[in-house]
Amino acid sequence: MEGEQRRLLIRFDGEDIGHGAHVVLPGLTLALHEGERVALLGQSGAGKSTLLGELRRRLDRQAAWCPQHHGLVPQLAVYHNVFMGRLPEHSTLANLWNLVHPLRRPWHEVATLCDELGLAGLMRRPVGQLSGGQRQRVAIARALYQTRPLFLGDEPVASVDPHQALRLLSLIDARHTTSVVALHQRELALTHFDRVWGLRDGRLVIDAPTDSLTLTELDALYPDADATRHIADARDADGDVPSVNALPCPRGRP
Amino acid sequence: MSDSLSALPPSGREWWRGKSPGLRLARHTLGLVALAVLLVPFADLAVHTRDPWGELGRMAAGLVWPAWGALESPFSALGLTVAVALWGTLAGVILGFPLALLFARSRLVRAGCAFVRAIHELFWALLFLQVFGLSALTALAALAIPYAGIFAKVYAEILEQTPRAPRDALPPGSGRLARFVYAELPLAWPQLAAYTRYRFECGLRASVLLGFVGLPTLGFHLETAFREGRYHEAGALLWLFYLLIASLPWWGHKRLIPLLLVGGAWLLGPWPSVDGALLWRFVSEDIWPAALLAGDWAGLVEWLARIPSLGPAIGNTLLLGLLGTVGALLVALALWPLASRHFGNHATRLAGHGALIFLRSTPELMLAFVFLLLLGPSLLPAWLALALHNGALIAFLAARHADAITPGMPGLPASGRLAYELLPRVYPGILALLYYRAEVILRETAILGMLGIATLGFYIEEGFDYLMFDVAFFLLLVTAMLNIAVDALSRRLRPREAPLDDPCAR
Repeated sequence: MEGEQRRLLIRFDGEDIGHGAHVVLPGLTLALHEGERVALLGQSGAGKSTLLGELRRRLDRQAAWCPQHHGLVPQLAVYHNVFMGRLPEHSTLANLWNLVHPLRRPWHEVATLCDELGLAGLMRRPVGQLSGGQRQRVAIARALYQTRPLFLGDEPVASVDPHQALRLLSLIDARHTTSVVALHQRELALTHFDRVWGLRDGRLVIDAPTDSLTLTELDALYPDADATRHIADARDADGDVPSVNALPCPRGRP
Repeated sequence: MSDSLSALPPSGREWWRGKSPGLRLARHTLGLVALAVLLVPFADLAVHTRDPWGELGRMAAGLVWPAWGALESPFSALGLTVAVALWGTLAGVILGFPLALLFARSRLVRAGCAFVRAIHELFWALLFLQVFGLSALTALAALAIPYAGIFAKVYAEILEQTPRAPRDALPPGSGRLARFVYAELPLAWPQLAAYTRYRFECGLRASVLLGFVGLPTLGFHLETAFREGRYHEAGALLWLFYLLIASLPWWGHKRLIPLLLVGGAWLLGPWPSVDGALLWRFVSEDIWPAALLAGDWAGLVEWLARIPSLGPAIGNTLLLGLLGTVGALLVALALWPLASRHFGNHATRLAGHGALIFLRSTPELMLAFVFLLLLGPSLLPAWLALALHNGALIAFLAARHADAITPGMPGLPASGRLAYELLPRVYPGILALLYYRAEVILRETAILGMLGIATLGFYIEEGFDYLMFDVAFFLLLVTAMLNIAVDALSRRLRPREAPLDDPCAR
């Protein structure tokens, strides 16, 4: 496989991962190589956030981090929220002064970034006044502003439309050599990533390159969706055809 | 058939045995009321004046026809009242904020804050009066010190409740201070500001009360006018006070605050010259019993035995605190429907709102003072004042809570709406508020002694009057300990199912 000759970034060898004594991912075996683009799939509660948190902890300063639900400060302006990505790189005094009057260089850098993300003209607006999609982009801007080689995102494209999701993912790709992104969109995982990690009930049940996977295999990660499909199938048999859009994953179904 | 019958409670007579939260609250309340009823015979509730109703009529006439012309320099009194409240609160913020950051980590800070909180502003004023005289410094310190303790506690609670997500999202290695100003302070800011505003309003009332120990704020003129029976002048001053509180949103706008601060600073003078040696003597010698400083234990016991009626004073304080708390509960239960949108018509609601605003913006000491003139020195005026003021405050918050509720069953008669829809939802909140207020009520109880009611405050003021600083200070410590104990007790008894997330309710 092509990943073999690439540099190994991190490896788990049958390790128990969790929060303190509470193990979420027992006996995890996993490797991440430089240059890989990994989609992390699984139901809510399958352990995606725990795995990403552990990766973040071990990779420390190599990884840019885009948390679930954004973790923005609604009272601060877009500029200050993005600036937070580089708080450790300035002195405390500079950080404090920046709240009173924006530092010149960061202001220009953040402005360029905001232009690319379609946030131009919103730099001074408090994040609390933005729409969900705009907040999402601010959270991504903050992660991009960290300029790290690796990107870790916990559902960074959950609250934007599919077209924007593609655009944002390619922006992330352009600025990071390696990425691990938790997703719910299975088609996006197959079209846009090299590799899929699939979690189900705390176990890594899929760890394979995307070209060897099909949507049906990914569906196995979502037992609840299975149940819905069975009901839908039963209805099908009754001749009562449900609309395609009523299904949880409308476009990807063969 | 018999199966379904056996599922019912075994006997109708034992309805109070049950574990449902409603029953628990009912047992709680009935226990509290029963205790109060049991202890009422021990309280001196006699009416000592000959014609209370006639006196009340004259006071009401004074309030209806205020003599505006008779006021001498009302604006300097108003200005001083505002200036003391503003600078006192600001000093409290400056002292309290750093303490709030240490609050969770240091047991010493928590204990110190609990101690300074437990002593009422007026007692602090009495204490500082001995050192700084009748000066602005006394007034400011009297507000700033207890407020520092309160701010430290409430600010710490607010900061602790800020969402963690933004903090966790920061890149590793962000400095402690940068993390605080970027990812904690902005999230807590709206609540911190709201609480500070609320505390300033309390400061305004306290600043008025400082007149009762002789500082020339609004309360000084009020007390003089009332004592000398000039009720029309007192009425004008009371109206001035209500106008001041009611117009707070306009003149207390945040853009005007710097202007008020600068203007207030001019009114606060003259500043006293503090004699360091005298201050040190007061702190190191005067307030401690001589026997203690000499290490003479037998003398200390003798000194303790000579303190006038310590037991009855503590008993009266606790009894009045209990009666006040139960009275506040009854008043709150009776009054809240008057101000709620679910009952009555437009006119009754307006009247209900008016009565609640009147009762809760008049400081307890003021109410107690008026009742004292009407009824003479017994526990009765103090009880009435505590029950009415605190009951109105709780009723106001309960009505606001009820107004946010949409009844699930439309078209119920008013009694059904009250008993089935609203009271079960509002009551846990009322009880929780009551337990929060219990500590405040006890603090007020002690202070009411300054009016001549035989609680601890009476003996504390006497101690200061006769320059027995050691006795006064000892009684102050006893008061503080009582408060801390009652606070701890009420915290235990408080219903858990109704957490109060609004710090301004305290």
